[in-house]
Amino acid sequence: MPLKPRSFFYFLHEALLGLVRNRLMSLTAMGIITVGLFLFGLFLLVTANLQYFTDLAWGEIELRVFLKPAVTNQAAIGKQLSALPGVQSVTYISKAEGAVSLEKMFNNNHLFLDEENPLPDAFNLTLTKTADPEALTRLVTAIPGIDEIVFGQDFVKFMEIAIRLVMVAGLILLFLTGLAVLYIVVNTIQLTVYARRKEIEIMKLVGATDAFVRWPFLLEGIILGLLGAGLALLLLREGYTYLVFRLQHYRRFLPLLTGKEINLTLTVSLLSMGLFFGGFGSHISLKRYLKV
Amino acid sequence: MLIAKKLTKIFNNGVLALNEVSLTVDKGEFVFLVGASGAGKSTFLNLVIRQEVPTSGAISVNQQNIAYLKKKEIAYLRRCIGVIFQDYKLLPQKTVYENVSFAMEVIGTKAKVIKPRVYTVLELVGLLNKAHVLPSELSGGQQQRVCLARAIVNRPLLLLADEPTGNLDPDTSWEIMDLLSEINKRGTTIVMATHNREIVDGLQKRVIALDRGRLVRDTPKGGYALET
Repeated sequence: MPLKPRSFFYFLHEALLGLVRNRLMSLTAMGIITVGLFLFGLFLLVTANLQYFTDLAWGEIELRVFLKPAVTNQAAIGKQLSALPGVQSVTYISKAEGAVSLEKMFNNNHLFLDEENPLPDAFNLTLTKTADPEALTRLVTAIPGIDEIVFGQDFVKFMEIAIRLVMVAGLILLFLTGLAVLYIVVNTIQLTVYARRKEIEIMKLVGATDAFVRWPFLLEGIILGLLGAGLALLLLREGYTYLVFRLQHYRRFLPLLTGKEINLTLTVSLLSMGLFFGGFGSHISLKRYLKV
Repeated sequence: MLIAKKLTKIFNNGVLALNEVSLTVDKGEFVFLVGASGAGKSTFLNLVIRQEVPTSGAISVNQQNIAYLKKKEIAYLRRCIGVIFQDYKLLPQKTVYENVSFAMEVIGTKAKVIKPRVYTVLELVGLLNKAHVLPSELSGGQQQRVCLARAIVNRPLLLLADEPTGNLDPDTSWEIMDLLSEINKRGTTIVMATHNREIVDGLQKRVIALDRGRLVRDTPKGGYALET
């Protein structure tokens, strides 16, 4: 049914009246949505922070590409490396620079006193978040003049598995929490609808269409969903900001997203979930009672 | 106005509620539907407002076969039928005015039309001074008047009354019957299911008797029982 402005205000008025008249049930439904979405938001925060942590770890991964001694076209190879997919930055390290940095690592002891510097020219490659290190290794090897590639292969593989596990577990948990919240919300809204089944029956008997009966309940559900989400959001945001503040001294070891960084994701996710739970919950709760 | 042809209703539990009932009610008629409890009176009324679907046979209201209506069409059918219930079915949280205006709001009537018409109808049923009280503050007879006002406020072609005097004392019952007669005189067709022998005998209107789902008598001007 197309919703005319006049009808919308009538439905909104009816929805607000319904909320006030059935305030105990409304508060119960809102409370359950708040608890459910609080849990949902908690999982979201954990998942987002794990993602953040793994992203930081990705940023640490470097590929060191050593050149064959006879190579003279370092600049051309550098350009080729920059053009490869997944490469974020390329830094040229000449054999002399390599020696200096190596000596720095060993307390400035002159390692190559009487010998010629044996280190090859090299490139340091940092990777983008979406890079596939193994595929990149194959591409780099194919470039003429490359002697050897060194990177923390085991660490990368471990990170890859860890990221996948975290993401899959996080998604499964989010999905299960979502289902549980929906189940509880539907049951709670069904109680409010049950309490008003007589009203629905009378509406149907005097000639109301299903859409007409459904709209005020849908709006009620949406309002409850948004209020519940708003409350959960408030608790989570305040709680999370406090947690980040308390843990700021451990930031080096336990990097956390700041409240500002996570606010938008949390707000959009929770409000849209509240909208969905309230609206969809009302929709399926009503189905049975519309068969008059 | 209302035509039933070999109308049969068998419920899922196997109960035969109506057995090949055929009848015609013309526009402007006042018909009593009588019979013992379980005779099929309420089932017949429920079929007319499409709360139930017939097992076989046909039923039409205002020349439209209503046995196979789509969901949305059922709502439009009900807009031309008013219904009065024995238990009034009023919304306890709404005032008298709101209970009546509600019937107009749900079919999308404009607000400026609703107000004067609700007051006119409340005046007709004698409840103008009770417009803003809740149903719980009214007597049974007054609640039935609100139900009647709600049933006629959309100016239905057909008014169905299911035991409208079932919960009322004799004097109040006659007041309701006077109102129904007045509404009938204004052109609305009325089909009233009742057990009230005194009223049926007193008004001498058309009587259709049902017994265990079968139509056993159709008298143009009769009483509750055959010998009357």
